[in-house]
Amino acid sequence: MKRIVIADDSATARMFIIRCLQIIGLGESEFVEAENGKEALTAAKEKPTDLLLTDLNMPVMDGQTLLKWVKASPKLMDMPVVIITSAGNPAKEQELLKIGALKVINKPVAPPILMEALAAFIDD
Amino acid sequence: MPHQDTAIYKAMFDAVQQTFETMAFVEVAEQSEELELEIPAEASWVSILINDPVQAELRLALTHSLQSTMAADMFGIEVEEVNENQRQDIIAEILNTLAGLFMTRLLPDDQTYQLGLPEPGVGLLPEIEQDAIGWNLQIEGSPLLLVANGASLIALNK
Repeated sequence: MKRIVIADDSATARMFIIRCLQIIGLGESEFVEAENGKEALTAAKEKPTDLLLTDLNMPVMDGQTLLKWVKASPKLMDMPVVIITSAGNPAKEQELLKIGALKVINKPVAPPILMEALAAFIDD
Repeated sequence: MPHQDTAIYKAMFDAVQQTFETMAFVEVAEQSEELELEIPAEASWVSILINDPVQAELRLALTHSLQSTMAADMFGIEVEEVNENQRQDIIAEILNTLAGLFMTRLLPDDQTYQLGLPEPGVGLLPEIEQDAIGWNLQIEGSPLLLVANGASLIALNK
């Protein structure tokens, strides 16, 4: 079973992402919800995590800071991180990919978009 | 009220349509008649700041019944089970999402932007400033009001 951490300060957004993941065939995964980057980092360190999906704009620790922490951690650096954001555009996307994000997806997320972004992960 | 063929009006209307259709599976339409911008008492609102490259505030107001219907559909629960937190969270996430889409549509590809966090509105929706831009829309007959304030954003509309 895959373990997926979802970080977003909105319960609606987390629920919506989980629904999309279920639709694209990841319904058997363990979903761990986090309300900010700090909670997500703690959750990812607790147990081996296969994928981290995070919002950018969050209180306490934002998604970009979370991404930097993950990529700086020998334990977590290989974990794929997908950014799902309402504040993304091509310039921001390039910045995040340079830091180490696997993909950057703009909200509103939809199953086909997640399917395409996570194709390699789903087949794995 | 802006003329409806301005870039700002279209960018926001498209953003609203895409957000509601994708997240809540409902269609947004313009009010068929020119109505005064008003929101019923049984409604709540949320705001978000655009901090860069313009300084502006967006406010979204929806009726409680529409929020509850969408929350029930999205959370897979009965309308009666929807609580205040869920209603507020849905309207906040919708505004957060459509604000990003709005800025993406409005700005060039190489232009970054920065949004604040959505904040629940307290009390009645503030009076709409004279130079604000308003979108007076509806979802299945239920009113949806969006207002944009901020001189630097409004200036883009001219």
